[in-house]
Amino acid sequence: MTYEESLKQLEDIVRKMEAGDYSIDELAEKLTLAQQLISQCKEKLEKTDSEIKKILENR
Amino acid sequence: MNTTTFSLYELNALVRQTIEQTLDDEYWVEAELAECRVNRGHCYMELIQKDEHSNTPIARAQAKCWQNTWAMLGPYFEKTTGQPLHAGLKTRLKVYPQFHETYGFSWIVTDIDPTYTLGDMTKRRQEIIRQLQEEGVFDLQRELQFPLFCLNIAVVSSQTAAGYGDFVNQLADSPYEFRTQLYPATMQGEQVEQSIIEALNCIYHDIDNFDCVVIIRGGGATADLSGFDTLALAENVAQFPLPIITGIGHDRDESVLDMVSHQRVKTPTAAAQFLISHLDATMQRIDNYQERITRYATIKMETEHLRLAHLAERIPSLFSLVKTRQEARLDTLANRIQSALILTIEKQHHQLHMLQHRVKALDPALLLKRGYSITLHQGRVLRSADNIKPGTEIETRLEQGTIISITK
Repeated sequence: MTYEESLKQLEDIVRKMEAGDYSIDELAEKLTLAQQLISQCKEKLEKTDSEIKKILENR
Repeated sequence: MNTTTFSLYELNALVRQTIEQTLDDEYWVEAELAECRVNRGHCYMELIQKDEHSNTPIARAQAKCWQNTWAMLGPYFEKTTGQPLHAGLKTRLKVYPQFHETYGFSWIVTDIDPTYTLGDMTKRRQEIIRQLQEEGVFDLQRELQFPLFCLNIAVVSSQTAAGYGDFVNQLADSPYEFRTQLYPATMQGEQVEQSIIEALNCIYHDIDNFDCVVIIRGGGATADLSGFDTLALAENVAQFPLPIITGIGHDRDESVLDMVSHQRVKTPTAAAQFLISHLDATMQRIDNYQERITRYATIKMETEHLRLAHLAERIPSLFSLVKTRQEARLDTLANRIQSALILTIEKQHHQLHMLQHRVKALDPALLLKRGYSITLHQGRVLRSADNIKPGTEIETRLEQGTIISITK
């Protein structure tokens, strides 16, 4: 999944959560998914950052 | 009338005496040479004067230049005019008459004025030039573009001429691969015009194979050049579609051929040198362009490298900006999750609380406490007394305790 896709899914979950679209039973599951998406996105950002630095150093 | 009969000798002697007495001086005479040949060191000429308009001879006479005089006059004339005395030339001669009983009348030449001939030649040359200019062909050759890569050369020359060999050798010694093809022609005497024109016609048939034409002639400066000063030859050369280089070997005045050709050089060797120098210049030009291209490309590459380096330097900070924004966005989303969760849970709590209140309000114990009681029959709440028959056992629940009673 790309960064944009992850972000889109995350925003979707948050919007539904704020609208109260999820049942209590679903909440924990969606929360876990949201956390996973957040760390995935953060990881991708970090990875890209270090890759850019590495590429420019090797130039 | 004199009735004496003379012997031929006597009569001729009389003529001789008369001439010797009446024409006892030397005279300068202008005449064209109809014939001119040297025999045993003497020069024999036939002088002629033509009618200016009809070209018909109106006077003719024999002339001789004896060996002792000719030995001086001949070379002097040739040295001054650049050509030997020959038929067709207009001359100014110093003569005295001689009548010989056996050989008849003849003018004896004691001096020749070469400047007169030179002047006449110049006049004729100027006439040719004027005609060429009138025809609009005089400058045609010089307007031609000399090819940058002039390697295929048609040579008009005499095959045996030393100059031709010099020319070919000089080209062979150069670093370039010249290809020459000889079109043999007579380069001296009366045949020059016809011969060169024929050679040019042959070259014209094969014109696609050549870049230029070289007309060269070996031999010293004293050789006869008059053949090169003709209108027909000049017209042919002037209008030839390929550039023509002339190297007909003389230091004096330019011949008309030299004037109409694309380039005039003095000798065949100089013609070869011209071709080599021209290619040298072309190569130099290519080298210069190559150098300029290389320099330009190097500068361009350096500039682009620098530009890329600048851009590359900006990338980390630009990305860090992107990263910060994205992180902030993620943090906001995380916060919103938390708020949304708290809100949801609180809402659920509140709902439960409300339900609890409502449940509590419905608790029957509260009614009992207020003094109400509940009556049950066989474990079920009684809401009407209608179906209760007398003697039925009912149960009444109070706040505290239960009463079992029988109905009446």
